[in-house]
Amino acid sequence: MSILYILIPLALIILGVAVWAFFWAVGAGQFDDLDTPAVRIIMDDDDKPPEKSER
Amino acid sequence: MSEGTCFHCALPVERTDEFQVEVEGELRPVCCPGCKAVAELILATGMSSYYAMREPPQPGAGKPLEDAAEWQIYDRDDMLNAFADVSGDHAEATVYVGKMYCAACSWLIETTLARVPGVSSADVNPVTHRLRVHFDTTDLGLGQILARLAQLGYDPQPLAPESAARPEVAEQRAALKRLLVASLGMMQVMMFAVGLYAGDFQGMEASMQYFLRLVSFVVTTPVVFYAARPFFAGAWRGVVARMPGMDLPVSIAISAAYIGSIYAMMTRGPAVWFDSVVMFVFFLTLGRFLEMRARHRSIDRSVALSTLLPNTVVRVGADGETTIPSSQLISGDVLLVRPGEPIPADGILIDGTTTVDEALLTGETEPLAKSTGDALIAGSINLDGLIRMRVERTGSDTTLGAISRLSERARYARPAFVQTADRIASYIVIAILLIAVLVATTWYFIAPDRAFVITLSVLVVTCPCALALATPAAFATAGTRMSELHLLLTNGNAIEALSVARRILFDKTGTLTRGMPVIATTQIFDHSYTEQQCLHIAAALETVSTHPIANAFAVATNDVIAKEQRITIGEGVAGTIAGRRWRLGRQAFATDRESTDADKATTVYLGMDNELIARFDLEDEIRPGARETLAELKGLGLRPALVSGDNAVAVQRVAEALDIDEHYSGCAPEDKLDIIRAAQQTGDAVIMVGDGINDAPVLAGADASVAPVHGALLAQTSADVIMLGESLSPLVTGVRLARKTMQIVRQNLAWAVVYNAVALPLAAAGLVPPWAAAIGMSASSLIVVLNALRLSRFGAA
Repeated sequence: MSILYILIPLALIILGVAVWAFFWAVGAGQFDDLDTPAVRIIMDDDDKPPEKSER
Repeated sequence: MSEGTCFHCALPVERTDEFQVEVEGELRPVCCPGCKAVAELILATGMSSYYAMREPPQPGAGKPLEDAAEWQIYDRDDMLNAFADVSGDHAEATVYVGKMYCAACSWLIETTLARVPGVSSADVNPVTHRLRVHFDTTDLGLGQILARLAQLGYDPQPLAPESAARPEVAEQRAALKRLLVASLGMMQVMMFAVGLYAGDFQGMEASMQYFLRLVSFVVTTPVVFYAARPFFAGAWRGVVARMPGMDLPVSIAISAAYIGSIYAMMTRGPAVWFDSVVMFVFFLTLGRFLEMRARHRSIDRSVALSTLLPNTVVRVGADGETTIPSSQLISGDVLLVRPGEPIPADGILIDGTTTVDEALLTGETEPLAKSTGDALIAGSINLDGLIRMRVERTGSDTTLGAISRLSERARYARPAFVQTADRIASYIVIAILLIAVLVATTWYFIAPDRAFVITLSVLVVTCPCALALATPAAFATAGTRMSELHLLLTNGNAIEALSVARRILFDKTGTLTRGMPVIATTQIFDHSYTEQQCLHIAAALETVSTHPIANAFAVATNDVIAKEQRITIGEGVAGTIAGRRWRLGRQAFATDRESTDADKATTVYLGMDNELIARFDLEDEIRPGARETLAELKGLGLRPALVSGDNAVAVQRVAEALDIDEHYSGCAPEDKLDIIRAAQQTGDAVIMVGDGINDAPVLAGADASVAPVHGALLAQTSADVIMLGESLSPLVTGVRLARKTMQIVRQNLAWAVVYNAVALPLAAAGLVPPWAAAIGMSASSLIVVLNALRLSRFGAA
């Protein structure tokens, strides 16, 4: 079980990196809108205007 | 959507074949040419999924308001500099988007703008209603972007860079970080705790146990000092102010368990409580986070004030008439105000006559006549005259600013509402920790070898998470369910206040009534005309008028066409129809003869070539369903009262029609606040329902406040609940749901208390092994959450 003495500190380092990454993402504004992304995936962005073609 | 409602704005449609749009090969009715234009724009640009994805449409939502031409002024360079950050060809502007209700709206706006050439990015935050748009100034101007938003039926309001800063965003970011630290910390520490519990059964090397406790300590420390900091700060503020709140017992519980665990770790004592600490902090942080999100849904004050006033004003100076941003207004300026425009500042009328509508400010339904020398109030609407005014006070010095400050003060002075549920929970937590220490010491003296396992069982079995979850789980579910029932909750505490309230106060104009006159009775004097013909003639004459009375005559279709229409301010309209001169207005105006009965602004006469043809009596129509809603509220044990700024006669009429015994008329905002204070003095919790600017202070001072979404934004900033749609009936549902919620909170707390009362003595006596305690704890939390989830079906069949 002595492997835990290495694995747990290693896990804590990874945890630290994850927290840092999240803090960075929050600071960059990626979490400012918590409502729209959940709905956005079911919206069709690629509906083309019916009459005039985009090309 | 049912047959008789507008496909776009969900308002009832009288003739379904009059205006139609083609949706996927099928013709659907719309209510007006405006909605037809918006719906066709949305469909033609391939964004029909907006209709599929939006929340149940709010009647009247998305109706186009303004003429696109009026936004052209924002294409000018000086306006661009006032409302955007410009660097070279690139500009960044923040726009408040009014009338936006759901995520589908933000998708529609972003997608539409992204297709406009020159826009490099557009982001909408549906919570703060703000659009941040980056665009190239060589391709397009700010005015074109605003016009596009107005075309979609939204109400854009460009914000000056200094007022675009969003305190909510900073608060939400900080709260998210805390929540993440608490949740990751909890997961890690719980994992180590499982290892430590397993070690208790299977045996564990002392060094490994010490190591696991040490890493638990390392992970718990940031949770306590970072994630739980707001609780300590709040507790300290409470102590300093000698008004300790919920934060104090919470802080004591957290610090006691944390310091106790450190001591136990150092002395290699029987158990550590790091897992309880992190779990407690996590659930509390989660509860606060959900509460904050609800609070952020309310509308910010600065925006609410600025939507009442025009963005631009026409200043008359030595150099003629110039359009300037209203932020540049100073006292002494002379302004030109056109009919239909809001008065931009407090001042004196110096040239012209008009009538103004002060309904939102004073609750007075009848427009007031103003002539040279009369005072004008910022935020009232200039109805029919072209006037010049001299500015005396601007911005926060105006009457409007004073009402806003009064409502802010009222909110601070709001009687502290005792949050029973939270208080009970925190006392129980302290009690549990004290008992655990007591049990540990007692058993240490009786049987030191068993002390450890028993204390562990006590702590696990009484884990406070069921208690910590009891209130937030129920409130969060109730909040979600309320929004489905057309009530937007902006303050979680209002649920408890709604449930215990004994009195409910209503504003009249715009709340119990629709705030616009309709024709009550028609009397025909010349029987060669039918009622229908008279109405059509009146409607044709009124087409030129912006006066609210004109709305009463608006009819869907009219074959009668009037020519040479002329408005006489404060008197009426005249016009030529089929060669004859028709006049509509006061009796003296309609016939050129002396009045025969008392002149009232709500009685309108129709005359032809000096002959009296018809008389229309107008009244402010009571909202459909108001009577039923009031009866149901009385049935729930709520005593209604009517509090209005309008005159006694009008108030009396509505009170009698709705069977309300208690009514007050002619109330200024301060008087309304006094009435509510008096009611609170008797110990009753009070609900206030109002929509006007003059209601904002009372809404802020009431225990729970509700504002309909179609009223003034300033009223909504002070409201705990915003009621969507036209009907008052969500009030009844809201009170019922609040009562049900508190019932569930009480059940949850009772469950937690009973469970602890049974389990704790057993565990303390050493009869519960730790594994059974762990199952008991999880089951107890699960029961609490499942019980709360019952609320999500509330009101469904």
